[in-house]
Amino acid sequence: MAGGTILAKPHLEEDPPYRYPAYQSTALRGPNKTPLILRPGSTELHAPVFGSSRIRPNDDDLTAQHAGEPLGEKIVISGRLLDSNGRPIPNQLVEIWQANSSGRYAHLVDDHAAPLDPNFTGGGRTITDKEGRYRFTTIKPAAYPWGNHPNAWRPAHVHFSLFGAVFTQRLITQMYFPGDPLIADDPIANSIRDKKVLARLISAFDWDLTIPGTALGYRWDIVLGGSNPTPEA
Amino acid sequence: MSNSQMGATPSQTIGPFFKFGTEWIAEEEIAAAGQLGTITLLGAVYDGAGNPVPDAMLEIWQADENGHFPPDTSESWVGFARRLTDSNGGYKIHTVKPGPVLAASGEVQAPHIFMVVFTRGLLKPVFTRVYFSDESDANANDPLLNAVEDLQARSTLLASVESQSTYRFDVRLQDSSRGPETQFFSFDN
Ligand SMILES: [Fe+3]
Repeated sequence: MAGGTILAKPHLEEDPPYRYPAYQSTALRGPNKTPLILRPGSTELHAPVFGSSRIRPNDDDLTAQHAGEPLGEKIVISGRLLDSNGRPIPNQLVEIWQANSSGRYAHLVDDHAAPLDPNFTGGGRTITDKEGRYRFTTIKPAAYPWGNHPNAWRPAHVHFSLFGAVFTQRLITQMYFPGDPLIADDPIANSIRDKKVLARLISAFDWDLTIPGTALGYRWDIVLGGSNPTPEA
Repeated sequence: MSNSQMGATPSQTIGPFFKFGTEWIAEEEIAAAGQLGTITLLGAVYDGAGNPVPDAMLEIWQADENGHFPPDTSESWVGFARRLTDSNGGYKIHTVKPGPVLAASGEVQAPHIFMVVFTRGLLKPVFTRVYFSDESDANANDPLLNAVEDLQARSTLLASVESQSTYRFDVRLQDSSRGPETQFFSFDN
């Protein structure tokens, strides 16, 4: 019975480890035991569906959520949500959150001295279309300092939360910007030890996504591990 | 396309500052409190020092009372809930006890809820399953529980009965004075 349940092959070897000393918060929070690798049952092979009725106007335009325009460089971030066979994952929820153009989060416990922007909260959400596409309008977040080590700065990033066709595809990650010199020394980014895998988190500047006179554009496709199986039971 | 395996996007930590991006669905219940059949699932997340984790995001996903998933459920069924832990690391969700569902092997599984926890300090989430300690017959025949050979680790998967219709399930990210590390899983997709 157990033989059919436990598998020998780890899931997504490219993911970072739980314990990574350069990122100090892992010391007390990363589990010490290796997770048991299981063949997903029907619970894991389904996933919630969030209808588009949940999404309000301007949920996907973070520059239009307040009375005035936020400060900073307006950008479009767009791409596709795909499974590992390259098939689009339609009708799924994509959530983002980010710092403002000064590197400050609209969060009570962010004590970075950079200013808040009354016209920018930094949270957004959308539902992928039939081709798995998503699109956000926002401002480019700035780098911000953190307490991990002396003079530690996070590279500019946008946090992304994704749901797949099956719940084991659930992913929270961060999108970085091309050419950012801070990525090379960031313990969170470099917890992904294979540079080719880390490169999957770096968006590409894309003229086709720009809005002339208004916004620059970045393209970023997201691939959820697993083959998007249709569950039998 | 079938042979062109694309490299998966790797995980990164949720970080400490996610509240304003994720709280919009963090109050929703799966079942109404006080309604017949509604259970309360509550507990807390603890770190390796035994301290509560006040900045975790916890999500559950489950079948309905009949063991069904959308689209085979009533239209109003969601089966998903999200909580941001409070200053004591705590969470509380009103839901129903799910019905039996099938394992990959085709065997019937004991009622269980899938749980995922994200927090600063976790570069990738932890996945576990919540079973119910008052389902001992079903639990004894559950293929996943039986796959966990270490009995102490297996016991971490059981929600205890706190009171009538209320179950406690704590998540311990590491061994501590709060108890043994929760048994976590990863899944071969
Ligand atoms: Fe951040």
